[in-house]
Amino acid sequence: MAGLVPPVTTTIPADASKTKKADEKTDYMNLPCPIPFEEIHREALMSLKPETFEGLRFDFTKGLNQKFSLSHSVSMGPTEIPSQSAETIKIPTSHYEFGANYIDPNLMLIGRVMTDGRLNARVKWDLTDNLTVKANAQLTNEPHMSHGMFNFDYKGKDYRSQFQIGNGALFGASYFQSVSPHLSLGGEVFWAGQHRKSGIGYAGRYETDKMVATGQVASTGMVALSYVQKVSEKVSLASDFMYNYMSKDVTASVGYDYILRQCRLRGKIDSNGCTTAFLEERLNMGLNFILSAEIDHKKKDYKFGFGLTVG
Amino acid sequence: MAAQPKRGGVSLPERRSAAKPESNILSRITSSPIVSRGKQAACDAAFVSKKLLLSTGKAAWIAGTTFLILAVPLIIEMDREQQLNELELQQASLLGAPPTASVSK
Repeated sequence: MAGLVPPVTTTIPADASKTKKADEKTDYMNLPCPIPFEEIHREALMSLKPETFEGLRFDFTKGLNQKFSLSHSVSMGPTEIPSQSAETIKIPTSHYEFGANYIDPNLMLIGRVMTDGRLNARVKWDLTDNLTVKANAQLTNEPHMSHGMFNFDYKGKDYRSQFQIGNGALFGASYFQSVSPHLSLGGEVFWAGQHRKSGIGYAGRYETDKMVATGQVASTGMVALSYVQKVSEKVSLASDFMYNYMSKDVTASVGYDYILRQCRLRGKIDSNGCTTAFLEERLNMGLNFILSAEIDHKKKDYKFGFGLTVG
Repeated sequence: MAAQPKRGGVSLPERRSAAKPESNILSRITSSPIVSRGKQAACDAAFVSKKLLLSTGKAAWIAGTTFLILAVPLIIEMDREQQLNELELQQASLLGAPPTASVSK
């Protein structure tokens, strides 16, 4: 059955595209809405940047009712400490994190408290169908590390714009517009008053149902290109390239992303000699087993982690 | 303590005197350019082969660990998926046969 269905679905768009080709010019008036500017690398990030960790992790989410849920998460293991020397220093740490979530179609409230005194709060509120307000705040007991931010997203028919305001006199705005059914282009400006920095960036994204290619350039010297090829429904291959003009560091990585019925497996190898694999195995309904591995051949840094997610 | 240098002092001329008749042949062979060059070449070959062995070992280690991380879980999971598919197919053919039979009846 499964083998029979795809040819049918592929023949229909082929016929449709033939008929559409004639009136493609009129189609420019109702282009699809692009995805938000900050999510243009979404597919590549999903397969290339899994959240690897070291040690043990246990997450438990309990829904109290349809909209309200509590989450508990425990993590143990060595954490890296930033240091000047080449070799990494690790000290064993353990954390407990308590969270409360309220999720409603229009309003989303998420709060997290960690045992080391960090508090994280996020709000996403759809004021109207087109206008969304997002707020993000992080409080820590260390001075100058707490920050807050407000985002105002406006979703038009074939464009999205966003205005950002944060503490430390941070202002940002971005605009993303669909230019053709597959191609969308946009730009962003930001100004950080505290650090006396400002910048401008441009991005483009080409998307078909088989592949996604994105490119982003910013005046901070960053050039980021990514390409994701969806080989089949289950398999996608991704590659990305990062170049920083200021610090002259270049990184390229290639990875795969397998979404099977029982598990999701992501693997990646990059030009710094770093190999990463992340496996999420579904043992039961609502019970996931996670294995994470990261090997850095150059730094001789090996990270392995395992975890359980319940609920 | 005093005996050792004395012995050494004694043995040195002794050896010299003992080697003297053979020095014509042996020392000439050992000091000949062919032998010294051969020695050098052997040393170089040993050094290079040691380096080569070490670097191949390192490359094999890196390749092996990378394979272990990237490919082994993938192979295992693909195998599991295939087994699951086969099981489902079998079950479908076992369970799916009676309804089709009843329909055909």
